[in-house]
Amino acid sequence: MSNRKKTNLGLLLVLQVFCMAPSAAQDTAPAAQALLEQFDEMYRSTGGTAARIEIKIERPKKVRTMQMRSWSQGEDKALVVIDAPARDAGTATLRVGSNLWNYLPKISRTIRVPPALMMGAWMGSDLTNDDLVRESSYAHDYEITGVGPSEEPPGWQVNTEAKPGVPGLWERVEVVFARAEQLPILVRYYDRKGRLSRTMQLEEIKKMGGRLIPTRIVISPEREEGRRTVLTYLHVEFDVELDESLFSLAQLERRR
Amino acid sequence: MAENSTLRLAWRGLGRNRKRSVLAIAAIGLGQFAFLATAGIMRGYADHYFDSVTGPLVGHVQIVAPGWREERAVDQTLDNVETMLAAIRGQSQVARAVPRIYAPVLAALEEEGFVGMVVGADPALEGVANGLLGSEELAGLLGDGRVLVGKGLARQHGIETGAELAVVGQDIDGSIASALYEVAAVVESPVELVNSTGIVAGLQDAQTLLRMDDEAHEIAVRLHEAEQIDQAADSLGAQPALQGAEIKRWHEVIPQLAGMIKLMDVYSLVVLGIVCLASIAGIANTMMMSTFERRRELGMLLALGANPGRLFRMVATEAVLLGALGVLLGTALGACFAALTAGSGFDLAELGGEESFEMGFQGVQIASRVYPEVRASDVLAGVSAVLVTALSACVWPLLHVARLEPVEAMRT
Repeated sequence: MSNRKKTNLGLLLVLQVFCMAPSAAQDTAPAAQALLEQFDEMYRSTGGTAARIEIKIERPKKVRTMQMRSWSQGEDKALVVIDAPARDAGTATLRVGSNLWNYLPKISRTIRVPPALMMGAWMGSDLTNDDLVRESSYAHDYEITGVGPSEEPPGWQVNTEAKPGVPGLWERVEVVFARAEQLPILVRYYDRKGRLSRTMQLEEIKKMGGRLIPTRIVISPEREEGRRTVLTYLHVEFDVELDESLFSLAQLERRR
Repeated sequence: MAENSTLRLAWRGLGRNRKRSVLAIAAIGLGQFAFLATAGIMRGYADHYFDSVTGPLVGHVQIVAPGWREERAVDQTLDNVETMLAAIRGQSQVARAVPRIYAPVLAALEEEGFVGMVVGADPALEGVANGLLGSEELAGLLGDGRVLVGKGLARQHGIETGAELAVVGQDIDGSIASALYEVAAVVESPVELVNSTGIVAGLQDAQTLLRMDDEAHEIAVRLHEAEQIDQAADSLGAQPALQGAEIKRWHEVIPQLAGMIKLMDVYSLVVLGIVCLASIAGIANTMMMSTFERRRELGMLLALGANPGRLFRMVATEAVLLGALGVLLGTALGACFAALTAGSGFDLAELGGEESFEMGFQGVQIASRVYPEVRASDVLAGVSAVLVTALSACVWPLLHVARLEPVEAMRT
């Protein structure tokens, strides 16, 4: 019971890596707690997960699109390999625990990302390296402060606040769930100064890999007009069998 | 004749109590010396900061893409840099114009990555005295995949000459930029940015890494005369080739440092204020004592028909003479200080028993050794301040003289 698995705020969008073990539901707002747990577990599978994803990074003057494959296993192992554009093809990111390595095929080098660069952008997107490795759970790291109907977008809104001592960028997180599917459709992130810092829209709920999931996720940083990152799931498979060695540095370099 | 005798009387007045006069002169002299030394040191530092900033790093005027200064995004580049450089160099005030590229990267010798900054610099332009490298020999090592690494960065990560350094960042299209460079030398630069994180690459190598064409992030412009900054910035702004680019004067680029330099002038003025107070105290005390002691003598002079105006002049001359002697002594000491330290410098750290040091501030290396520069205008400011205070300080003694009743005074 105490083996509480965690999910990763950023990585669950891309890699579906982290597992959430069942945890005793809190007395307050049990329905909201269940919704958050469902959010945490939305992209989780007890076996390995494989996906093909398209990431569109929009900037004021240009739009860049990348296609990638991702594999994840357990709580803390994940691999992402870029397939397109051709210029970046073969570039890979491996996560094992809190370590993150980038493999650069052009120079045949693997470089571990240092702590100082954890807040840097991952592959130039609106996700940070820290998003990829930080283990965080909506259900366990945040305290529910209110539940109520949401008008825009229509659904149920769950307001949460970071529990004391939980590291991270966000002080408050508001999640709006669709009434019908009870899946998240909008997340608003507030920074430590209480300012809305970024929003995440979860759209195009479809059945993929045998599961009903949002397949398009739009991350928009606030106060930065013309910037956003759009992730689209092209294909997802849950509970697939993956070789442990897939998540090793040797394999990372051999993949090319 | 009358003026000569007034001066003679004033001089004799000062000699009446030599110890007291010498002490007052010494106090004023020390005040003037302190002011000259402070002004000299402050100016030495201000000039050092100014040269350090405008020399190798910022230049007198900077040309950048709009918004680059604030965001420093790698894709905020100046286009058609060669055309821009030709237009800039065509201006009579311009001594040098150098294009540069800055790109934050993840660098690694082996697997462990660390933060670095690729600085793209033109070897042909950066080897001169005020260039980023300051040595033709070093500049000659640059290019064709060879880079120079800042001393601090090298020490921190064990980078040695001949090592292969991998760098990865983002190119101007947002794609992954990666390259392997050979470390040609570890360098110590006057620019803190280069020392602590700098991987100086040839301009072309940096352009290749970031997939730039004829592009750069900034053009640093150095002028023949620093005083021509406004005029040069205006004429550069009128150049068609530079339309759309941001033209910034150095103090707009690093306002904190400009503010600090201004603050040094204020500090000198504060010291001048303290000198004035010391002079007022010294002169007023001396003159009051001297006037009280001569009450009988002054009363007699008045009784004999001496003009009160002449007595006033005598007391005022005595005060000015006291101030002038003090300020002369202080100026002589200040001149000695300037002569002794101007060439070899003056290490503030050694005063406190510490070893010399260099610290980074706003991207500039600042040394504890300073080369004081005392100007004639400082001496003039000190002399004027002391003379004005001398005259102010004798108002009270003069009032005392004005109220003297000759018979009464002679009786005391």
